Amino acid sequence: MIDARIAQSVIDHAVALGADFAEVFVERNEVSNIATLSDQVQDLSSGIDFGIGLRLVYSSKVLYGYTNRTDEDELRRIVTELAAKDRRDPATATSAFDFRAADDVHGAKRTLSTDPALREKVDYLFAANRAARAVSNQISQTRGTCGQRQQAVEIFNSDGLHTNDTRHYIRATLQAVAASGTEQATGTQTDGGLQGWEIVETLDPAACGAEAARQALVNLAAKPCPSGRMPVVIGNGFGGVIFHEACGHLLETTSVAKQASVFHDRLGETIATSVVSAVDDGTLTREWGSINIDDEGMPTERTQLIENGRLVNFLADRLGAEKTGHRRTGSGRRQSYRFAPASRMRNTFIEPGEDSLDDMIGSIDRGIYAARMGGGSVQPGTGEFNFAVTEGYVVEDGKVGHPVKAATLISTGPDVLRCISMVGADFALATGMCGSVSGMVPTTVGQATLKVDDILVGGNA
Amino acid sequence: MADPAIESHARRVLDEVVRAGAHGDLIVHQDASLSLKAHDGDLEEHKVNSTRVYGVRVIKDCRAGIAYSEAADAAALHSMVAQALQNAAFAREDDKEAIADGNGSLVTDDATLCRQDDVTVETKIAAALAMERELAARDKVQNVPYNGVQDVTAERYVFTTAGHTAHSKARLCNAYAYALLKDGDKDVLDGVERTARQFDELDTSVIVEETYARCIALLHGEAVPSRHYDVLFDVECQAALFDAFASVFSGRAARDGISPLRERIGERIGVDGLDIRDAPRRTEGFGYALFDGEGIATATTTLVERGRLVTLAHNSATAGHFGVANTGHAARSPKTPLGVALHQPEIGPGEIRESDLTSGEYLEIVDLAGLHSGTNAVSGDFSLGAAGFLCADGERLRPVRNITVAGNFLDMLTKIVGIGDVQHWNARRSALMARIRFADMPISG
Repeated sequence: MIDARIAQSVIDHAVALGADFAEVFVERNEVSNIATLSDQVQDLSSGIDFGIGLRLVYSSKVLYGYTNRTDEDELRRIVTELAAKDRRDPATATSAFDFRAADDVHGAKRTLSTDPALREKVDYLFAANRAARAVSNQISQTRGTCGQRQQAVEIFNSDGLHTNDTRHYIRATLQAVAASGTEQATGTQTDGGLQGWEIVETLDPAACGAEAARQALVNLAAKPCPSGRMPVVIGNGFGGVIFHEACGHLLETTSVAKQASVFHDRLGETIATSVVSAVDDGTLTREWGSINIDDEGMPTERTQLIENGRLVNFLADRLGAEKTGHRRTGSGRRQSYRFAPASRMRNTFIEPGEDSLDDMIGSIDRGIYAARMGGGSVQPGTGEFNFAVTEGYVVEDGKVGHPVKAATLISTGPDVLRCISMVGADFALATGMCGSVSGMVPTTVGQATLKVDDILVGGNA
Repeated sequence: MADPAIESHARRVLDEVVRAGAHGDLIVHQDASLSLKAHDGDLEEHKVNSTRVYGVRVIKDCRAGIAYSEAADAAALHSMVAQALQNAAFAREDDKEAIADGNGSLVTDDATLCRQDDVTVETKIAAALAMERELAARDKVQNVPYNGVQDVTAERYVFTTAGHTAHSKARLCNAYAYALLKDGDKDVLDGVERTARQFDELDTSVIVEETYARCIALLHGEAVPSRHYDVLFDVECQAALFDAFASVFSGRAARDGISPLRERIGERIGVDGLDIRDAPRRTEGFGYALFDGEGIATATTTLVERGRLVTLAHNSATAGHFGVANTGHAARSPKTPLGVALHQPEIGPGEIRESDLTSGEYLEIVDLAGLHSGTNAVSGDFSLGAAGFLCADGERLRPVRNITVAGNFLDMLTKIVGIGDVQHWNARRSALMARIRFADMPISG
């Protein structure tokens, strides 16, 4: 996207000013978003982001700037300004670029630039709306969204790296609103992946609409949720947000390097029950959180984080690896050229076990079945996390009872990992967006249904 | 003073919109920022940025479409207009969404919103380093993982095909520090941030003191038994909770059939003393807005008066839909479609002395976690992680952590025990709040 000679000139300039490492990150991001309301198109928008991020590293200090301009003079000017306080005699020499295109294992077909498929996307959302409304006349509204983007990146650095990649993201969501008198409740179904609109071949709008409506109706009938510490069975798929928040963020070297993670000095130790094995895998074909290369140009990989309860790896970007001594894992990610990269999750999940949902429910006298989860957040320094239950039921005497309203589960990462006692076989993945120091990035969470023996349920009863 | 290059680009874009037989408006956002982060006695990150984004909305045959571009060359701007027109062709017909009439001009006052100072980058770096150094030297402080300063100047332009223009320019400086304290098996990570129009109005020593005092106070917090308590949120938490549910006052959410208040205009939705307003023209607030996302002049809007819902917040389209006055609450960035949002909300002062809100036993909540995930503005339900203090008669008895607070936002408005007689700005000065004591809130511990 920019002339390699310009990138070389900019990097040479940074190194001449004494930078230990210099990087040019070029991004062109094409976006299309459709929003529907029932059977009408509410908003349709599109655009192109383009910019260049310049990163200079002096020892452990990161200098970062960005611009929308591509001319050599402007890029060199930004480097000069960034380095003004740190310039020194050259500490290293630049290497000539050795271009290697990223291997694309995902093979998107109906990409945004070749086939925006606006009419088809609208028709898909309309069909999902009709399916939701067909479930019950209590479905008072639906909101659909379909977002597609095509992110092209080109990366150069002072180690001689020159690579590029194009990522194709697609995601469709239907939210159904159920109403009765003044009461309202919602249900949501989302599908997405690292692929083009060919994803529609694997989607069923009728199933999407029916599922969103089902959740909304369950929540409309829900009663106040009991409170207090109790066992909780957490459903598969997006239930994996528990591991994402409780543990995943704490294994990113962004926190580990600052000793702002409760796990920073626990490598090799047992931090979870033996039924817990967890992975962060950037290589899964066409999954939402996958990448061919990370945003520092390193090929991605499958990283085993926890093996039978033992912590075996952290997630490291380039700088995190330098600061901690842990190996790089192809996890350097960023939202856009406006952010310096940091170690981030990709597709993160607890591997499946052999327990059954019936056995988990049957083992509980009084607890909650959190069939569907919403988002959450964590304080890495203390491990305190929270996440929301979006479809829950009481469990009494080994049986699933009535649905319950809004509840939050809170605990700490170390505590909850020691309380996972059963893991099922019904493994599933779900798409999400994760926010952290380097912005919002697509991530997948996943797990089979699992049981946590003791966690605080924040109900409204 | 408007940037001549931006004005030239606006003319080119809007001329093309008119030539296509459409109406339209163009929003241009540009900012310049400095961000400094300190860690381990050294500068960890030094970030210098400037960006500009153009976003056009076209309305043709009563159909609206938008598109944006971060490039400003002729080809990019032409492509942006073409995309917006293509998008409009798919949109629903809506004869209420229109480009604002009039050809006036609105310009903010730099002397109020964008005063420059001569604080050097070296001074700002020294401030970030000093915050970390001073906090790290305190007893029980393990680490100061997050601290730094920011200085952002943001400009926003609105140009319409009717000839109306609006331009705002504002500067905000920010400093923050978060410390990790440990004592035996107890730890806490917490902090504070402050915002000012000029860097030299930030007192970083206050940030250090308040961060440390907050962490020490919460360090040994334990859960309280699960039951219902009276709750008094601090100003930060109260403003954040109201912000999470601000969309219930949105005319767009009402038009779309999802606001629980859509058919309740004129009805009582809260206790008698509850006044909720949006006051965008308070210049002492940093949510100040001279105009909205359509370039319409703003004014104070009373949303709730003595517990009764007076109006919802509207842009031109939602006002047209309901046949009511536009309240100047259009929300639109270059990249997003026309919405509705409050600018600078406030809870009016009540008649109870603030000191009288703290009689008997109550929970003072000073930290809420999960506001982005544990709230549902369609149902009004919420359940959030929380921390604070168990109090009695104005005295903090003990710190409380690892609890949740739950409820329904609209129910809460009817369970108000008292509203204090003093208004307070939150730290970002984006909301002005009289403190409220809520009765009977479910707490899990």
